[in-house]
Amino acid sequence: MLRCRTSERLHWRKRADEFGFKFHTLYDEPYWDESVYYQFTLQQIEKHIESPTEELHQMCLAVVDKVVRDEQLMRKFCIPEHHWDWIARSWKSGEKSLYSRLDLAYGGQGPAKLYENNADTPTSLYETGFWQWLWLEDKVNSGDLMRNADQFNSLQEKLVNRFLDMRHGHEGQVLHLACCKDTEEDRGTVQYLEDCANEAGIPTKFVYVEDIGQGEGDVYTDLDDQVITWMFKLYPWEFMLREEYSPMLEKAEVSWVEPPWKAILSNKALMPLLWKMFPNHPNLLASYFEEDLPGSNLKNYVKKPIFAREGANVSIHIDGVETEASPGPYGDEGFIFQEYYPLPSFGDAYTLIGSWLVDDKAAGISVREDKCKITQDLSRYVPHIIAG
Amino acid sequence: MKRTKSINLERMRKVSKYSPVKPLTLVVAASSLVACGDSREAAIYSNVEHCSQDNPSLTQECKAAYQDALAKSSKSGPKYTSKSSCVEEFGENNCTVYHASNGNNWFMPAMAGFMFSQVIGRNHYDSAPLYTSYSRRSPVYGQWSTVDGDLYGKRKYGNVRVGNNAFKSKPAVVKTMSRGGFGSTVSAKSSWGGSSSKSGWGG
Repeated sequence: MLRCRTSERLHWRKRADEFGFKFHTLYDEPYWDESVYYQFTLQQIEKHIESPTEELHQMCLAVVDKVVRDEQLMRKFCIPEHHWDWIARSWKSGEKSLYSRLDLAYGGQGPAKLYENNADTPTSLYETGFWQWLWLEDKVNSGDLMRNADQFNSLQEKLVNRFLDMRHGHEGQVLHLACCKDTEEDRGTVQYLEDCANEAGIPTKFVYVEDIGQGEGDVYTDLDDQVITWMFKLYPWEFMLREEYSPMLEKAEVSWVEPPWKAILSNKALMPLLWKMFPNHPNLLASYFEEDLPGSNLKNYVKKPIFAREGANVSIHIDGVETEASPGPYGDEGFIFQEYYPLPSFGDAYTLIGSWLVDDKAAGISVREDKCKITQDLSRYVPHIIAG
Repeated sequence: MKRTKSINLERMRKVSKYSPVKPLTLVVAASSLVACGDSREAAIYSNVEHCSQDNPSLTQECKAAYQDALAKSSKSGPKYTSKSSCVEEFGENNCTVYHASNGNNWFMPAMAGFMFSQVIGRNHYDSAPLYTSYSRRSPVYGQWSTVDGDLYGKRKYGNVRVGNNAFKSKPAVVKTMSRGGFGSTVSAKSSWGGSSSKSGWGG
């Protein structure tokens, strides 16, 4: 695993306009950075990332299967009690999921370590599935990179195939897609999924989360008063389960993507439970709930809120003393404590691997760099290749 | 190869093409009369008698198609909370009361005709309701419109060629009692640390 400097494509900003990539620069700082790329060997990809990703995912699903059958754990995961049955049913009836992203600490050697599972509303999907793919095409076509350079990135292909799969059972139905207002990145992610669904022949319609209505007869409606029956929402279950329209969730009979059981899979409480069920697994970091911390011998750890986005409210503790912390509005629901395992650094950059899954299959990676040890939403996205 | 083999770049090309947010209830779209490919013959009739006269051997089918069109109309047709907004769109004496399941009343245009079409290669007939407008200000004036606002050309009975999806089931349309019951957490969390963020709630 190498960090390589390279020249930017001459007209890449024009190319970004052409393909609707609108958030490549944020607050005058680059978010998409193609002045560098990472180079992996095929063995690193297959042995250290691809197969552990699928194994970790199966372990996480095993946790979900345990939690839905255990009221105490449902409480631990802060799932509101009146939704327990509904969520358990969505799991037991095998409702299909679309995608998720495991965040891994990996620097080229040794086992990758799982930081967390973004299973409900992962972003940087477009940059991964399409934009870095296009970057490689362009770089190879211009002779900048060798023709045999590859990329671990079958994300778009797998998304389209997954939508094809989901189409059966939703024949003739419109898939509504939703995200919140005023977020270019989320809107771009949803537009991308809409493109993938259309490619699979599914008719789609967009509605903002805030514009969803309650129709008579306990249904959800869009702005044209059409009943929503099948919906992708880029909005976390942990929020939805607590909002005004949540009591209707059970009656409305919407087929949700991601399905309700993702409320468990995307929860940080997953981490201590994984450690309990699969202790000392090479791809796991020791993790504990607050009450188990004293007996754990964990001195260097990261404290993370059970619900949080983009690295907010995370703090690093060395010998029990807080050394670094990120601000944020989260933490009311409690925290988990995870063994301190710093991100590998390449030069002045800390590097985080996002490993994607579609339909239980590893589907590619995204690489993000940050100047801080806690990756937040202002980290840079850099492309990668496989060579050798 | 560990990457996607090929991508349909045409679909990915944007130049700022987000789907526009549609206005209320009846959204008029371009004509859905199609010439080739995924299309079939259909006849437009005003009622059961009209259909039976044209198809003496299909009286039962005409009846069933008409009933089916009525049912589709009440499920998926445009609906208005006030009579005046329905009249504005569809004209005087062209709006009927629709009794919703919970006892509320609203208004919708009367079905002015229905399409009748044999499923290719089968002894089965599809139907779909059509509306028209007598209001000169309406884009539907003198035209046929489907439940979702597709215009099928000038209002006249007889044979037309239409896309197969004319007969596909359409989303149900119901009265929306309120909006905004989702998304409150996001505004609460956003108010922390400044108002605008590029980033949403993905992780």
